[in-house]
Amino acid sequence: MKWFWCLFFAFWPIVAIALCWVSPSLGWWFPSEAASPLGRRIDDLFYMILLITSVTFVGTQVALAYALFRGASDTEPEADAKKAWYSHGSHELEVIWSIVPAFVLLFIALYQLDVWAEYRVKDAFPRDKMEAVFESINQKRSETDSLALAEVTARQFEWRIRYPGFNEDGSLKPLMADPQPTDLYAVNDLHLPASAPVMINLRTMDVQHSFFLPDLRIKQDAVPGLVIPIWFEAERQQSYQLLCAELCGWGHYKMNARFVAESDEGFIEYLRQLEREQNEDRVDEVPETDAE
Amino acid sequence: MRTCLTLLLICAVSGCGSKPEFSHRDEYENLPPYAQAYVDEVLNTYFGTPTDMVVWDKLPLKLHTATGKVTTADNRSITLDINEPHAEISSGTELLLEAGEEAQQISAWIRSWDEESHTATLESALQSKPAEEQSVVVGPGQVLANGRHLYAEHCQHCHGVTGDGNGPTAPYLNPKPRDYRRGIFKFTTTQAPKRASREDLARVIEDGIPGTYMPSFKLLTEDESAALVEYVMWLSLRGELEYQLIRTLSDSYSNDAIKDRTSDGETSRNDIRDEFNAAVNEPDSFRYELDMMTTRLTQDWSSSQEEPAEVRPLTPRIPYSAESVAKGRVLYLNEKNKCLQCHGEAGYGDGSQTFSITKNELNQENPAPGLYDVWGNPIKPRNLHRGIYRGGRRPIDLYSRIYAGIKGTPMPAFSTTTLRKTDPDDPESAITDEDIWHLVNYILSVPFEEVKTGAGADSAKTAELATTPQEVDSH
Repeated sequence: MKWFWCLFFAFWPIVAIALCWVSPSLGWWFPSEAASPLGRRIDDLFYMILLITSVTFVGTQVALAYALFRGASDTEPEADAKKAWYSHGSHELEVIWSIVPAFVLLFIALYQLDVWAEYRVKDAFPRDKMEAVFESINQKRSETDSLALAEVTARQFEWRIRYPGFNEDGSLKPLMADPQPTDLYAVNDLHLPASAPVMINLRTMDVQHSFFLPDLRIKQDAVPGLVIPIWFEAERQQSYQLLCAELCGWGHYKMNARFVAESDEGFIEYLRQLEREQNEDRVDEVPETDAE
Repeated sequence: MRTCLTLLLICAVSGCGSKPEFSHRDEYENLPPYAQAYVDEVLNTYFGTPTDMVVWDKLPLKLHTATGKVTTADNRSITLDINEPHAEISSGTELLLEAGEEAQQISAWIRSWDEESHTATLESALQSKPAEEQSVVVGPGQVLANGRHLYAEHCQHCHGVTGDGNGPTAPYLNPKPRDYRRGIFKFTTTQAPKRASREDLARVIEDGIPGTYMPSFKLLTEDESAALVEYVMWLSLRGELEYQLIRTLSDSYSNDAIKDRTSDGETSRNDIRDEFNAAVNEPDSFRYELDMMTTRLTQDWSSSQEEPAEVRPLTPRIPYSAESVAKGRVLYLNEKNKCLQCHGEAGYGDGSQTFSITKNELNQENPAPGLYDVWGNPIKPRNLHRGIYRGGRRPIDLYSRIYAGIKGTPMPAFSTTTLRKTDPDDPESAITDEDIWHLVNYILSVPFEEVKTGAGADSAKTAELATTPQEVDSH
């Protein structure tokens, strides 16, 4: 029985390491490779924490197995009469295992600061790059206009999206906080330019939802009463999954949608198409000249 | 042990293991057992059960993957001339050859399908070469079966197995999920007396209905959405046939009618039953009625899919302008058009009708003041300030709402046949096509009307008809 417990505690770190080792090839790891630069940095943070916890876990398990091994291999005749040494109340040990984890946590807290800031702190958003996108898609704007290209409103159980409309000279309007007569609407289908940071405003119409782009490692709760800006940068022009990551009701599972990262021209073409559909009056003779 | 109990509990609650079954209308319970058995037999023969469905060729639905004719063939490969567009044909699909006059059917299975040349290579060789021009059904009933699976996955928990709008999640919803069994759908772009078109149903599935619990199912493929549309239409046809059949039978054979007929003491209940059984077997009695019902339903639905059924404005949309909005506002306030009675002067959906006793289809008074739809649910006129358009926000959607009304609700149809007013200054002249566009522009402008903070009901003082006490907002 002594040997069983010794092997039992030695067994788990081996299983854990082996599983971690093979899981990427079995598809048990991340949803996909991070599709954005920020996503990769978030992954790096994850790996760093995984490393710290692995070392701790493997270390404690090995120490435990070693202690048991020492006891089990003690064959001296008086071994059975030996008493355990109780460390409870040891001031020194208590201090050590309070201070060491405190330093580890402090390290993690400091180490992740700039990733978190870039992701969440508005002043740290890559404003210049965002403005380059506005230039490239010909958005007429002033300094104070919102950086967001779309407003995503979560609702039981779908994502409703509002884009700014076009000016008469063909340039794109900036997104306003309130709906405008020229706004363009879509549902469950978010299109935005790829290869550059783009921002959306997240809202919810009813309960709490969570905007989750697993491939881009973006997850942000939508909170009633708040307009929350989020930015992300999809590197490839393709379609990504958009999910709700907050149990929001019985239809939570229905809230899957599509995020399509497109070229700048593709994005404008998409908005033009929305505009055409939205101005549909079913009179064939007249081409689409009657935009509002 | 606890896990086992939990699993058992989950099964008991969700009904694992029990087969889904079509439910009956309430009126069914008021029929004597022999009439109930007849209704069951009819529905079972033509529609089957949810797990064992019947494809009834008489229905105006596209329930097969594809249909067509043989152009050239040998024993192993057949080239077809099939209808377009058709659902995707995959290997393993059944191919049904309707051979010869005796309507003998030969089944074969497709190994591979070449979409370009429309050639099917078969799993095993046929005994004889199919003749040219022979009719072929690819994937018989496959669309219906796919529709059923998708419906069970996405729709059933609200709309119910039968399409009665009474699934397990329905009690928690307001507005209630649509009950398909009257064949009425609210948001269509077809003429007032017509049914919904396939495009209308597909649009609702794709975009959802804002302001209600109907979410968007954007990620369904075109084939999936089409299969769902056919299944919903199939449920509607089934439900409507049941509705009409029970109504016809109820005239003389409901429990109430039987009580009436036997009250004079001359006819006995047994006489009535014998009479019913005789009528069942007589070709020009129930069977004739049933035939007529089906033909009418079929025609209603298939004619609604054709172009003349579509709402098509006579003129293109009048561009949005302050002038057009003002004209729309005048039309909106015109007593004759009755917009105010429900939607209120300021468009808050608080017109006088919302406080009045109204009557239902059967001319009975509704249980409480306010408006009701044909399904018996209390409904509110739309508050135009919300900017939420359940039937879609495209000009054609709003135009259709005014032109063809909202089916099954008190929103009436203002169908027009004239383009312009003969006398533009006469406010009493009939509503014209241009007028509808002005109204559309006005309705689109309402959410952007300026309402100043603290103005209270002042902003609603567009006409001096307000009945609300003014003192409330005076300080």
